[in-house]
Amino acid sequence: MPVCNFFLQGRCRYGDKCWNEHPAGGGGGGGGGGGYNSNNSYNSPAQQQPRGGGFGNRVWVNPSQQKGSYIQPSSFSSHGTEEWGGGGGGGGGGGENDWGRGGGGGRRDNVSFSAPNRFSTLGTPSTFERGGGGQQVETIQMDMDIWESSGQWGFSCYSSFKTPLSGFTDLSPEELRLEYLSRSASGEVQIYVNAIKELINQWRSRVQELKVMNPATRTALLAEINNPAPQASSSDFGSATVFGSATDGMESKGFGAPAPAASNTFSFAAPSGGFGSLAAPGFGSALAAPTQPPSGFGSSIAAAPNAASFSFAAPSTNKPAATSGFGSASGFNFTSTQNAGGGGFGSGFGRVEGLGSSGFGKTASPPAAGVGSAGGASNSLFSHESNTTPEELNQFKAKRFTLGQIPLKPPPVDLLVV
Amino acid sequence: MSLFGATSGFGSSGDRCLGNDVEVTSPPDDSISCLAFSPPLHLCFQILIMVRCWEVQDNGQTVPKAQTDAHRSGDGSKVFTASCDKTAKMWDLNSNQAMQIAQHEGPIKAIHWIKEPRTTAFWDTRSPNPMMSLQMPERCYCADVVYPMAVVATAERGLIVYQLENQPSEFRRIDSPLKHQHRCVAIFKDKQNKPTGFALGSIEGRVAIHYINPPNPAKDNFTFKCHRSNGTNTATPQDIYAVNAISFHPVHGTLATVGSDGRFSFWDKDARTKLKTSEQLDQPITACCFNSNGNIFAYASSYDWSKGHEYYNPQKKNYIFLRNAAEELKPRNKKW
Repeated sequence: MPVCNFFLQGRCRYGDKCWNEHPAGGGGGGGGGGGYNSNNSYNSPAQQQPRGGGFGNRVWVNPSQQKGSYIQPSSFSSHGTEEWGGGGGGGGGGGENDWGRGGGGGRRDNVSFSAPNRFSTLGTPSTFERGGGGQQVETIQMDMDIWESSGQWGFSCYSSFKTPLSGFTDLSPEELRLEYLSRSASGEVQIYVNAIKELINQWRSRVQELKVMNPATRTALLAEINNPAPQASSSDFGSATVFGSATDGMESKGFGAPAPAASNTFSFAAPSGGFGSLAAPGFGSALAAPTQPPSGFGSSIAAAPNAASFSFAAPSTNKPAATSGFGSASGFNFTSTQNAGGGGFGSGFGRVEGLGSSGFGKTASPPAAGVGSAGGASNSLFSHESNTTPEELNQFKAKRFTLGQIPLKPPPVDLLVV
Repeated sequence: MSLFGATSGFGSSGDRCLGNDVEVTSPPDDSISCLAFSPPLHLCFQILIMVRCWEVQDNGQTVPKAQTDAHRSGDGSKVFTASCDKTAKMWDLNSNQAMQIAQHEGPIKAIHWIKEPRTTAFWDTRSPNPMMSLQMPERCYCADVVYPMAVVATAERGLIVYQLENQPSEFRRIDSPLKHQHRCVAIFKDKQNKPTGFALGSIEGRVAIHYINPPNPAKDNFTFKCHRSNGTNTATPQDIYAVNAISFHPVHGTLATVGSDGRFSFWDKDARTKLKTSEQLDQPITACCFNSNGNIFAYASSYDWSKGHEYYNPQKKNYIFLRNAAEELKPRNKKW
């Protein structure tokens, strides 16, 4: 009799009536339902001989059940579901896929884990994303584990949840073979071998990185995953409310013509109504509002994904030299936005306030510093044109961003259209 | 069936045959990348460099073809069309395969990728030039054509469906239901013999069945795992193998998958069950196909580079086997 996977997890609904075998002592071992412990994976250093992992498949089944439970609880009506139908769901589970488990055939109508379904759940913003972030990460970790231990082809792109994850190159065996053949024809096999080694190392380290999932990797990962969902991602901001409302308020965009609503929303831009509102739009546009022109600069940024990426990307990449554009509007404005930019990334809000006030001429130096020095204020709303790569420039110039190529830097100021 | 009555002419060597599978004599020296039957029971093999053709009736007679290679981009490889004409066609190593479709259909179009790895060309076999060439967003990894539909799977998990009536044009781009690299694709037909969906295999031992316009996508589309090493033993992580080729039985609508693990499996996608898995062969199985009436299942065993160049052994013999497919591929529940 096949061993009952549910029993191993401690959740067999049939108990003694179950047709599958309930091995003694299996219940305790697998008892921790959600206990997928990624730390276990450290025990199997060698990628090709992972046999010792007691955490192996047994645990892998769990996450897929878990995923199931929040995606489609109703579909779990028999034991067989785990074996197939999980739309791309990693997890080992039953191994060799036996659709007609139990010797029968029979329809398995209940299996409807198809990918589209899962993705549709993902499509619902915010609540899922926030709570699900952890789940996604776990899935990825699990997949990485399987990938590494299963000996499957390594040069493949990988994606859970629609977005392809970075760091994986897609190469088919035929392409490699072709390369090998052409190299060996010209006697350069060693080049090929070295290149392959290099690629394998890259792959291994990326897989390891994702398995380990230290905080930096996690945030970068979540950024990537969340990028295509612009609305949701902005909620990741600490100051989400500000932006949220700022976007609502945004209409007008002249520096000198603050949107009244905007000024209210910008909670900490106390300095003056005008200033605050100037700053707010500036913020909002750069970070959260897809179509908000940063007061006077009419940003043509189409997608808020930029916002999310801004939160993770090092603001330091934004060259204040962009301020030259600002300068054209007015020095005053420039300063204000500069300051706003400085605070733009969550943590700097306090700073904004301080600088903001100084923008009124109280303290000349900070704004001046912001204005003048390229190196000083490393946070700026807009990057310098020379700082952006041609691809990024194309993205900015395009009507809409292309998923996967959304620049992590803010646009150069002169690309903004009033 | 009478075919196999003529097996005495084949002189199969006995070893390496799975049960009663017949081995094709004088198999090619290089890995086999594609198999195709053309109606008069000719078995046509395309390998990396050469196209070879066997007439199944006779004693494994090989009809040698000119070879092409990428560097010289010479032409001269022949491909059989439905009418058994020999049309010269250009194809090179970058472009993996040249394929045939529905041999019964009227205007036969053979699809292949031309030199730039990102182009698909549609040919009308009557004219020497491609009638249409489309740019693809990525490198094509596999494709299938069943008039009037064509599916191309590209790198980076791309999936494009074309409609071939009049001028071939892109019909839809589909989000891949799979997480990993696409490896093979095969179109299946509905009961009215119209192409209605496709099966997509990846390197991760998984096949996705996807309908183009299903009444209920969530329920109708699904994926299943295959070509993995562990059966019910969940204690050890399993080995996962790429699905190298998928082929649908022309009559029953059931499908066969072959993988890098050296096995082939038969499945019934409507009953969502597995019909059979074969014993493990020595080498990966790289290609498979059915003949037009579904009596013969041909599969080729040769190295597919799934483990890199270290495991490439040019001395190892490649095999092509023919198997009686009439019985084993009957659907589990009589759906057809």
